[in-house]
Amino acid sequence: MFDLELQIHLWSDHLRAHGNLKEADIIELESHLREEIDDLISAGLTADESFLISVKRLGNLDAISHEFAKVNTENLWKHLFIDPVDSTAKKESRRDIALVVIFALLAGTLVKIPGLFGLGFDNPGAEHFYLRNISLFILPFVAAFFLIKRKSNRKTWSTIMATFIIAALIINIYPSLAPYNTEILSSLHLPLLLWLIVGVAYIGREWQSSQGRMNFIRFTGEMVVYGVLVSAGVLVLGLFTLAIFEAIQIDAEKFMGNYYFVYGACAAVLITAYLVEAKKSIVENFAPILAKIFSPLFLAIMVTFLVVMIITGKSPFMEREFLIAFDLMLALVLGLVLYVISSRSNQQPPNYFDYLNLALILIAFVIDGVALSAILFRLSAFGITPNKIAALGENLVLLVNLGGLAWLYVVYFKRKCDFIKLEKWQTGYLYVYFIWTAIVAFIFPILFGFY
Amino acid sequence: MNVSKDLIAASATPLILAILKENDSYGYAIIKRVKEMSENELVWTEGMLYPVLHRLEEQLLIESYWSKSEAGRQRKYYRIKESGLNELELQKKQWQIVHSALSKTWSEEE
Repeated sequence: MFDLELQIHLWSDHLRAHGNLKEADIIELESHLREEIDDLISAGLTADESFLISVKRLGNLDAISHEFAKVNTENLWKHLFIDPVDSTAKKESRRDIALVVIFALLAGTLVKIPGLFGLGFDNPGAEHFYLRNISLFILPFVAAFFLIKRKSNRKTWSTIMATFIIAALIINIYPSLAPYNTEILSSLHLPLLLWLIVGVAYIGREWQSSQGRMNFIRFTGEMVVYGVLVSAGVLVLGLFTLAIFEAIQIDAEKFMGNYYFVYGACAAVLITAYLVEAKKSIVENFAPILAKIFSPLFLAIMVTFLVVMIITGKSPFMEREFLIAFDLMLALVLGLVLYVISSRSNQQPPNYFDYLNLALILIAFVIDGVALSAILFRLSAFGITPNKIAALGENLVLLVNLGGLAWLYVVYFKRKCDFIKLEKWQTGYLYVYFIWTAIVAFIFPILFGFY
Repeated sequence: MNVSKDLIAASATPLILAILKENDSYGYAIIKRVKEMSENELVWTEGMLYPVLHRLEEQLLIESYWSKSEAGRQRKYYRIKESGLNELELQKKQWQIVHSALSKTWSEEE
């Protein structure tokens, strides 16, 4: 059966791929094509005949795109803030911007409220309170932004918001005792846990589908890249303000520290979320580009490191700080592998980056094997502490994740499974991260008596 | 008969402006109207028409707006502006000069 809609979409996508046309041009040409097709159909031709003739009449796409390129010289640089063409899109983008402004103000105000009850930034003990709650001030608003954007139903709304409230209650009911070991662990894991909750809001109805979750992984990568850029902007503006006011002997430090940087940080997160969501289809994703640039370099460094370590015979794992550094390295390798995966299509045959990914995973595996044995040694020698157990757990979780990917890569290279299996494994594994971060954030303090 | 490319390009601006002076129109209808007026002698391609329309828009001779067709489809309409009307008058005079000169030489031939 001839699918006219599908054919028209393929045609306009082809036009889009040329890159010389603005979105409005494409809509205009597509509407032109449809007029032509409608006319031919009403003259008695079938849909596929009409399509073929209309496309032929419209002429060679390369030629069209070339003609347009002469007029649109500036639009090879794509713009994020293009005016949407139709009125509903315009309304929606206005609403989104309004939401970002309102939510940033609300989040910033929420940060200021504890100050009214004697928990300002300067009060003693406040730093633990803020460290514990930092994600709770802002992430619910990011979640709300996406719940509104996805037109989620009341059940999703209440489930997600209830999760935030319960998390806030638990984390603040727990006693805060020196030396704050478990408390700091909770504070570090809670944002990760809550970010996954934001993910449920982001993905919306299909939060269980592997496609939806992959999109959330992509979204996370872009959030990091754009977040750094936006925060740098906020910081530059802030420092600049301080400097110019200092020049006229006015000390803006107090105001800036108390208001500008609080509201600025909240706004930065929400603006980044909005930008990444808006740019999705317009600008190429940046995280995969970074991953592709740096994964060969990381591989080279890690191989060199391993060789040097074997030759000199030195063990790098005598200090706890180094163990944590190796945990971070594993996480980074996982990130690199993940973002290379995220940008490839499932139908593509294995390419250079897939083999590179496997090599990167295997070398990380070897190094981590050494690290793991060192952690076990320290556990048996110096006894159990929450930090060590957390480091060990982190290590195992990352190791199993990378191991699964490596195994599936091998099976895939032997052509025994499709690439989609890898994606499914990775997106399914998000559950493990969810459970693990929940355990560290909520169970560890009880387990170790809030030590 | 095939009209030469240069001539088509040169006559595009006055034809488009003249059609838009009658009433607001969109790409597909403009091409049809040109075909009709020239009794199928002038067949414009889209690759030629839209860049010209966009150039005229940039020169502020015409302006565009989006509207829905009867079938509910997005359609980009073009409207002539004051400066476009002036330009049309100017072009008309120029073409009349060419036309009258050509007619004179041709009538002398006969």
